[in-house]
Formats: sequence, structure tokens, C-alpha cells
Amino acid sequence: MNLAVVIRTVRWMVRDTLRQSIATRLFWVMLAVTLVCTLFCLGMTVTGDRPATGDQYDAGGFITPAQAKEIGEERVKEEKLKVLNGEVSLGFGLIRVPIARYRDDAVRYVQIWLAAILADTAGVLLALLWTAGFLPTFLEPQSVTVLLAKPAPRWAILLGKYLGVVIFVALQAVIFVALTWLALGIKTGVWDATYWLAVPLLVFNFGIFYSVSTFLAVVSRSTVVCIFGTLLFWILCWTVNYTYVRLQISPVEGMSGLSNLLLETIYWVLPKPLDLGGIFYDSMRATGFAAPVPELDAVQQKGLSRPELSAISSGLFGVLVLFLSVFEFRSTDY
Amino acid sequence: MSAAAVFENVQKDYILSPLSRRKITALRGVSLSIPAGSVFALLGPNRAGKTTLIKLLLSLARATSGSIVRLGQPSSERATLGRIGYMHENHAFPRYLSASEVLHFYGGLTGLSSSELPQRVESLLVRVGLADRKDDRIANFSKGMVQRLGLAQAMLNEPDLLILDEPTEGLDLTGRKLLRSIVRETQAAGKTVIMVSHVLPEVEELCEDLAVIVSGRIAHQGKLNDLTSGRNFESALNDIYEQGGAA
Repeated sequence: MNLAVVIRTVRWMVRDTLRQSIATRLFWVMLAVTLVCTLFCLGMTVTGDRPATGDQYDAGGFITPAQAKEIGEERVKEEKLKVLNGEVSLGFGLIRVPIARYRDDAVRYVQIWLAAILADTAGVLLALLWTAGFLPTFLEPQSVTVLLAKPAPRWAILLGKYLGVVIFVALQAVIFVALTWLALGIKTGVWDATYWLAVPLLVFNFGIFYSVSTFLAVVSRSTVVCIFGTLLFWILCWTVNYTYVRLQISPVEGMSGLSNLLLETIYWVLPKPLDLGGIFYDSMRATGFAAPVPELDAVQQKGLSRPELSAISSGLFGVLVLFLSVFEFRSTDY
Repeated sequence: MSAAAVFENVQKDYILSPLSRRKITALRGVSLSIPAGSVFALLGPNRAGKTTLIKLLLSLARATSGSIVRLGQPSSERATLGRIGYMHENHAFPRYLSASEVLHFYGGLTGLSSSELPQRVESLLVRVGLADRKDDRIANFSKGMVQRLGLAQAMLNEPDLLILDEPTEGLDLTGRKLLRSIVRETQAAGKTVIMVSHVLPEVEELCEDLAVIVSGRIAHQGKLNDLTSGRNFESALNDIYEQGGAA
């Protein structure tokens, strides 16, 4: 194996994929979604909040002005309760909500919604759907034969195309996080660097599921199969992950040892989107700002959570599927 | 004379159904030697196995049995592909690229350095008459223009072995003239050209050696002159097709 040839091949394939993303307008569509979110962030203001004291992430001891009036000033002082007087305005004043905690918390809450709900779930799914056509189109015999007749290893061609798509999504993730982070910072004065952790976590999540799309593309060369296959696989992984976690906190009586072993095996083999979401949630130190996933919370409290193993096994699954794709691609007749 | 490509007892089966192991045999014990420095025609009726033979030569498919040597190296040696140029009939170039970008992309993958690539691309675009359209997207190209680009793509690495699969398909008169001159230049430089074509006048004009494949077997191999001596090329070829089909 000539390393220079591999690097050259991967470089050209990545470059071609990025060009493809721009030419097919996907780049601009995703950028437009980011700009809408940025505009949303620019429309956020926080007023009347209390300055952070003590443990910045302590969410307890807050009451609304109405509650304070109800229980009386003396009890508020006695119990050292903090009365909320602030307001968060979203969408340039369209939505107004009383501030729940500190200014930082309000920003963190919006960031968690943007990163965990919008980008990590809807964004990753949309990216999987939008990029599903890249490989099948490329792998059509009429498109790929001349390329395969070049002195470039087949596995490097496929890997280059895969990396090209992942880099494209990473680029979009960076733009998304950077612009929304800047917009929120400019409008609120809160510059929370932990929000940037969303980028590697999003890319990791996307990379795992895109390896499945790659495998389906190599086997079927059909965009439809890639779209529906990846979507169904994603649902399957969620279901297995959720069922496993659920059974950990409340085991079903009468479930046989074999069934347990089977579920355990499937759980450890497949990617774990719920667990990855939990890692994301923890990385963002979200407890106290957003409602935790009750099942994950319970597993953590029971000491059964193994986030590192979840992430490693999910990543290994992606690598294995990619390896299978390469193996299949290398042995395919064109 | 040395050989640019040698096939020895090559068989190729395509598995139609992995479960039932149903298969079709595209090539049956093909042994063929393509002389270096020649313009070699590969002829045969549709579905005879010509394209399969080219695919095996380019490592696009794997032979079920037998051996293939190209440019003195076994076909498993991918580096030799860097000395081969391949023009595919109806190749779909990425429609989002311009003519110049296409050549940069394929040239880069062929191994041309970033210093020599721009110069080579420019000169080839001039050579195939696409210099004034170099920045236009392929999506706006006619079939003939795409064929010209395909020809330029095959010439990027100044190949020792140039393989042309139905090269005149979609080309106008000027394009055909260009193709003929490129083939002659390549041969004059001591390089080998393999042409798969159904256009007999073109074959007759350009090629000296030929092989005829019928039903996956070599039905005839030799000098074109020997085949046509005293006979019309088309009727001689028809006879071979019929005899090969009967065999």
C-alpha cells in the first residue's frame, strides 16, 4: 500500500464531495436553516435577571413574584428564597417567558434546545436524508467505472467519499454552532464555551449512522434504500436503546435469561443514540436547565450508566460497518 | 514483438443469484495477446463479451479463472493502471463539475502532480476543442462534447495503453477526425491502442490487428489485412459471427 496514493485519493474524493454539496445546493439549504436559527438567537433578550452567586448551576431556591407575594416577605427571607423578576424574550418579543434562573441558565437552555433537540436529532436525521443520495449516484456503474480504472485503491475512494460527507456535515455543524453562539453572545453577553462540545458530538453521531447509509449504498446503489434503510435503522437503535435502559430501571418479571442475554447483546452491538444523547446532555451540564430523560436519569442514579462504553461500542459499530462497506466495494464487479 | 496485454485461459462467470448460484458465463477460456505498439480492434456482436474483457483488463471485475497480464505486470498490480487511459462509452461525468474541473479531478487521481496538472489540462482542452468551454458545467454539454472530454480524460497521463470503448459514439465529423489523429499519434509514439467498436469503416482505417469475440470465445485473431484479403470486411466479419455462434 502506497500511503501517498491513499492520501492523494482521499484528498481528491473529499474535495469532490464538498464541491458536490455546494453544486447540489445542499450546502446552501443547510446554511439557510442555520441562518434562521441565528436570527432566532438574535431575537433573544434577557432582562431583569439576577446575577449568578455561589454555584452557578444550582437551580434551587427560586420562586416567581406571584409565589413570593403568596407566601409573604418574611418567609422568603427566612428560607433564603430568590425571587425571579427577569424575563426572556424570544423571536424579537413574540414570545415572553419569566426568567427561570440566571441569565446564563436562560442562554444554556436555548443552547440545549438548539444543539440537543434541533441539531442532534432533527439536524442529524435531515443530514442523513439529504446526503443519502451522494453515494448511490456516485456508485452507479456509468459514473464510477472510469474512476475505478485509475491507480487509486477502491477502499480509499469509498473512504474519501464517506469522509467528504462527514467533513461537510462537520463544517455545517461548526457554522451552526459558531453563528448561534455568536448571536447569543452578542445579545446576552453570555459566552459559554461548553456549547462548542456540540460539534464533535454531532459529527460522531452522524458519522456512525452515515456508515450504515454507506453500506446500503454499496450493496444496493439505491437512494431510496439508503434513506429508508438508515431511517429504519435509526428507529431500531432508539427502540433497542430505550427498551434496554427501561428494563434496567424496572425489570420485567418472568423475562427469561436468554431474552435478557439477547437484548444485552443487541444493545451492545448496535449504536446507542439515547446514550449518546445522554452524553451530550451531561457534557452540556444540562441538569437543572432542561428536563432530563427520566430513564437515563434513573440509570445514572442507580450507578448503571456506562457512557464511555456506550460511546466506544457505538463508534466501533460505525467502524465495523465502514469496514464491511469497503470489503463489499472491493469485491464488487463493475 | 512484446505484448501490451495477455489473457490466458480467462473465464468470467457472473453470479445472477447468490442463493441459487445461478450464473452466466461471459468469457469461456479466452487466450489472447495484444501486441505492444499496435492499434488493436476488439470486435463482436452485442453481448459477446468484449466489454467484460476490457473490464477484466482494467480490474473493474475479477476473472473467475485464468490470468491477465497488462503492461508486463499481473492485473492485480493496480499501479499499472496509471499507465492506462480509458475512454468509456456513455460515461457520466459529475454534472456539477466544469470541463476543466473534471480533468483536474481525474488527473489528480491518476497521479499527476499539482505543478504539471494545470498545464496538461489546458493543452488537452485545446487539443479536443473544448478550451472555450472549459469553465462550463458538464450538465450543459452535448453528447459529442462529453465524448471529447472523455477522450481528453483518457489522455491525461499520456498512457502507454489507450483503451477506447465505442469512441465514435456521438462524435460529429470533426470529432471523428480528431479521434483518428489522436489514435495515429499514440501509435506513432510507440504506444498501444485497443478499440472496441461497431463502426467498421473506422476500424478498417485505423486498426492493423483484431480479435473477434463471439459468445465469450475468441472466434478469430490476427491481422485485419489477412481477414479482408479479397473480401468485404463486413461480410468476412459476419461469417465469423455466424461460425462462432454456431460453435
